[in-house]
Amino acid sequence: MTVTRPTSVAEVTADLAREGVRARAGGTDLSACLETGVIAPGPLVDLLDVPGLDGVTWNADGSARVGAMTTVATVAADPRLATAYPALAATARALATPQVRGVATVGGNLLQRNRCAYLRNPAFDCFQTGGDTCPARTGDHLRGVVVDQGPCAAPHPSSLAMAFLVYEATAHLERASATALPVADLYDGTDPTRDHVLDARSLMTAVELPVPVAGERAAYRRATGRSRAEWPLVEAVVRVECADGGRGPVERAAVAVGGVARTPLRLEALAETLVGAEPGRDLPVRVTEALSDLADLCSPLPATGYKVPLLQGTVRDVVETVLGITGR
Amino acid sequence: MDTRVNGAPASDPDDPELNAAEHLRDRLGLTGTKIACGSGVCGACTILVDGTPTASCLLPATHLTQRSTTTVEGLGGTHPVQRAFAAHDALQCGYCTPGFVVEASVFVDTWRTAHGDVAPDRDTIADALAGHLCRCGAYEGIFSAVASACLGEFDDDPLRAPPRSDAPDKVTGRARFTDDQALPGTWTGVIVRSTEPHARVVRVHPATTPDGEEAPLVDLLGEDRTVRYVGQAIAAVAAPDRAEARRLAAAVRVELDPLPAVTTAEAARRPDAPLVYETKAQRAAAPGYGEAPSLRTSWNGNVRGPAVVGWRTATAVSRLRAARRRDDPLLVAEEYTTVAQVHTPLEPHASVAFWEDGHLHLYLSTQSVSMLTDKVAERWGLPRERVHVVAEYVGGAFGAKNSVSPDAVAAVELSRLVGAPVRVSLERSEELVDAGYRPGNRTRVALLAGDDGELRALAVDSEGDGGVSVGSNVATLAALMYGRSPRRVRDFDLVTHRPPGQPMRGPGGPPMAWALEQAVDTMALRLGEDPLSLRRRWDGNPKRRALYERVAELPLWRDRPRGARTGRFRLGVGLAAAGWPYLVGPLARVELTVRNGGLVVRSGTQDIGTGIRTVLGDAVADRLGIRAEDLSVEIGHGSAVHGTGSTGSRTTTSMGPAAVDAADRLRAALRERSPDVPESGPVPEQVFKEALSGAEGLRVVGERGRDRWGRLTPDTAGDLAAGRGLGGAVHVMEVEVDTLLGRVRPTRCWAGIAAGRIYNERTARNQCEGAVVQGVGYALFEERRDDVATGVVLSDDLEEYRLPGMGDVPETEVYFHQKGFEHVPGGGIGLGEVSAVGVAAALGNAVFDATGHRHHDLPLRPDRLIGGAR
Repeated sequence: MTVTRPTSVAEVTADLAREGVRARAGGTDLSACLETGVIAPGPLVDLLDVPGLDGVTWNADGSARVGAMTTVATVAADPRLATAYPALAATARALATPQVRGVATVGGNLLQRNRCAYLRNPAFDCFQTGGDTCPARTGDHLRGVVVDQGPCAAPHPSSLAMAFLVYEATAHLERASATALPVADLYDGTDPTRDHVLDARSLMTAVELPVPVAGERAAYRRATGRSRAEWPLVEAVVRVECADGGRGPVERAAVAVGGVARTPLRLEALAETLVGAEPGRDLPVRVTEALSDLADLCSPLPATGYKVPLLQGTVRDVVETVLGITGR
Repeated sequence: MDTRVNGAPASDPDDPELNAAEHLRDRLGLTGTKIACGSGVCGACTILVDGTPTASCLLPATHLTQRSTTTVEGLGGTHPVQRAFAAHDALQCGYCTPGFVVEASVFVDTWRTAHGDVAPDRDTIADALAGHLCRCGAYEGIFSAVASACLGEFDDDPLRAPPRSDAPDKVTGRARFTDDQALPGTWTGVIVRSTEPHARVVRVHPATTPDGEEAPLVDLLGEDRTVRYVGQAIAAVAAPDRAEARRLAAAVRVELDPLPAVTTAEAARRPDAPLVYETKAQRAAAPGYGEAPSLRTSWNGNVRGPAVVGWRTATAVSRLRAARRRDDPLLVAEEYTTVAQVHTPLEPHASVAFWEDGHLHLYLSTQSVSMLTDKVAERWGLPRERVHVVAEYVGGAFGAKNSVSPDAVAAVELSRLVGAPVRVSLERSEELVDAGYRPGNRTRVALLAGDDGELRALAVDSEGDGGVSVGSNVATLAALMYGRSPRRVRDFDLVTHRPPGQPMRGPGGPPMAWALEQAVDTMALRLGEDPLSLRRRWDGNPKRRALYERVAELPLWRDRPRGARTGRFRLGVGLAAAGWPYLVGPLARVELTVRNGGLVVRSGTQDIGTGIRTVLGDAVADRLGIRAEDLSVEIGHGSAVHGTGSTGSRTTTSMGPAAVDAADRLRAALRERSPDVPESGPVPEQVFKEALSGAEGLRVVGERGRDRWGRLTPDTAGDLAAGRGLGGAVHVMEVEVDTLLGRVRPTRCWAGIAAGRIYNERTARNQCEGAVVQGVGYALFEERRDDVATGVVLSDDLEEYRLPGMGDVPETEVYFHQKGFEHVPGGGIGLGEVSAVGVAAALGNAVFDATGHRHHDLPLRPDRLIGGAR
């Protein structure tokens, strides 16, 4: 196994142009994938020493550009990010554990492999490892998708991707075909062979966020068995812009969910029903109806039917939290 | 910037195949950093990289280049957190401790800078330590330790006389476990395992080394050349380094002739099912998972049993049948299930072996040093004095480390073959597949009450699902509960082509209590009676009756919510009763030697986190009226006098009295030489010192005296006998159920334990707190999951096999009822198992109290809870 440590983006892209070469960021998922045989050993390009990939930079219009090598811990702790993009910060704080957040990066998080036990067990072949079946579908898929988009049954693992969806963020790339892609377009739920659409020659350099909205409110929740340090069964994030500096009715809203489908999903119809909802008051009937209607979005596998009420419950929780509604 | 490790310049890591943890351990000898899960989940490998806590098992070693690294050794033993962990006994086996203290040191420093010397709340501490798992469950001590370190209570207090004598070695990373033994020139062995659930092994073709030679290979399969589960050990290979050994293992070609297999209980039950064992000899050789030998019984296909126990069984059965015919409302007949709970100690099974001048040296992670010394000597045909089994520190066991396991066989055989020390340490995936688990059970309980509310009949049928192993005793244990009414209990085993179970902490107990205690609460509901009041009427055990009296006065129980609960979050309180036999090891011996003017306590026992090292020192010191710091305790060496195995809750009650006896013998021997030594009472310090100086080389051996009234059973070959009286426990658990997201949060627990006199209050309490943590895991999270089609274990890492973390456990209060074992030397019996039996059962009753929904199947996962609220 050879590892190079280039010091410029140009050198990285030159290295990546060679056959079989992979980029390595924090290495948390890559190490695990090498250990379990998800990825075959091969030459690696370490991105640690490449200037310009790490850290948050603020544009003149007040928007942020988060370098792909920025650690999740940095995103979770940056006070300016927390004010400007509270949904992103809340999501970053809840994922993984302190000692993984300390090295795991934004780019690595967006482009990580899924957590399916069959994928990560060398005893099985599946679409992702060159096979032509999904053993989870006929086997154990308790943690599998409930919105069935295609042959693979593993939910997308990236919580940050879900948070970036509610901001309609853009990924900056160094590759031949495109230099920028909406984060949403990094994923294709119908493709069972991979967890993102980028080829091995692409380098993600940053994620660009829109101009922040003053007084934005946000909430994040993951449904898990344990209280902490667990991949979500279902997760949801919501951001709302309210009138009167945050105290008035909702003017704009965005909701996204994870753990339910091959890709993180935006819930457009539900978000629209939130417009006009007033903080601290009972949920409007149209919102509770939209929560019920989430069942129509679902196409459960034999063992994932529980994720329908769990999805409804998780989304309800973030909506109530963001609107300051307590107790039921 | 230079590459630095613990403040000193270090060379740049240059091996791209190593992770940072391997680099620190193997290249720099910094073995305080542990590799326990290998997937960034458990936190045992946490180090600081430029001050940031980092999972070093997922960090490429080369990422330490031009960084400043701090390991537990670099904290110097003087960080307030290290002192606090020792003082609050925030550890048991100590394997997770270095990771905890490294992470906590940063948290405490950061917290105090931001908030001053105030204590953070439990949630804040749980957030900070969310990436750490302690399988022993020392979380209560960890909460206290971190809070008090934040308060500044340990800023200048040196590490002196902590409640656990080996705590200083554990909080500093000095304690060397088996995998930490770094003999020069040690090779690594890797086990080659079956990929088929059932097959005849035709031939094993060795791999070829890079030099073109046949790679060293030893056979692990035995005579019948048949594998019966995926993951079964077939052979082992060795190489000078781990990466090469893994490559060689992958290159070994195993010619298999697949045979029909049954990988589910349902399939195994079918009349035409392939048989796991075809011959009488094969059945007799099936591995067992009971703690004591199981009753002889018959087989029918893949079903073994029943083993029947009871009294007035015909009466019990006819009463229950009649009650069913008349639809008696006071008949409770329900089925309850549990699933496989894996021991998964954070230190995996590990062995380091080398041969020297006809002597076999074996560092072994075991819970039975003396017994394993005997077994190793027998297996390799060596005189006992040529076998040197060493286990000075053992990173947890829970019943899984009690045999000559494949890692030991592989290390010994490979070492002989290659002429160098060989280390075989299981990966976490191996540990979770083929190193033991508590089998799942399907248990049917029938209880019948009369119009007077008395128990008129009890029947329990239970089927153990232990893969290729047998020995279920769940129903048998139920016969010991709730008086002497007519009863029939029957145990069955169902064998499948899946890995073997092993005895796990209170074998059969937790699944028995899960079933029986749900049924008893269901009966209380039928009778319209308080669950405590029903148990006080039915349960004649005097020790539990004493505990019930405490429960009645407990605010947690007395002031619990009543009536139907509504809303999203619902609070509930439940209780459960438990019992466990009193077992003893009659062969326990403790040796005292005067060496270099000091006193040395020796025995072939071992400390797997229970605290027996401390108990031995304290027992001798108390008896002689000297300070425990003035003697040294050497355990974990098989060459010493016989030490009790850490199984069957018998270590303390066997070793403690032997230590006291040794102290008395020492006193008598010293008095012959130094008449100033008093006949009884404390020996003055100066007198003791002088007496020792005149007695260099003196050696006495203390024995375990006999109980008054004798024992119930004769001594067995396994150093196991049953004494008179049962240990008792009552657990009261409070939970909050989030009905919207299907999550149970245990909030408070009261653990009442009746095991006679307590030798060391803090270490005993720690063990009982840990039992609550493991019980919470059993109730809510822990579940081995298999692929039905292939028999492959899917939950083979600590992400898929979920252990409870800091944030998942209740605030726990432990109460000891210390009477009732006055007939036992020392007045106390073991508590490791009795404290673990009823936890999940109490939690289930609490969830029912909160939600009105009676769950029958463990674990109580979100998918099961989300629909279950009235």
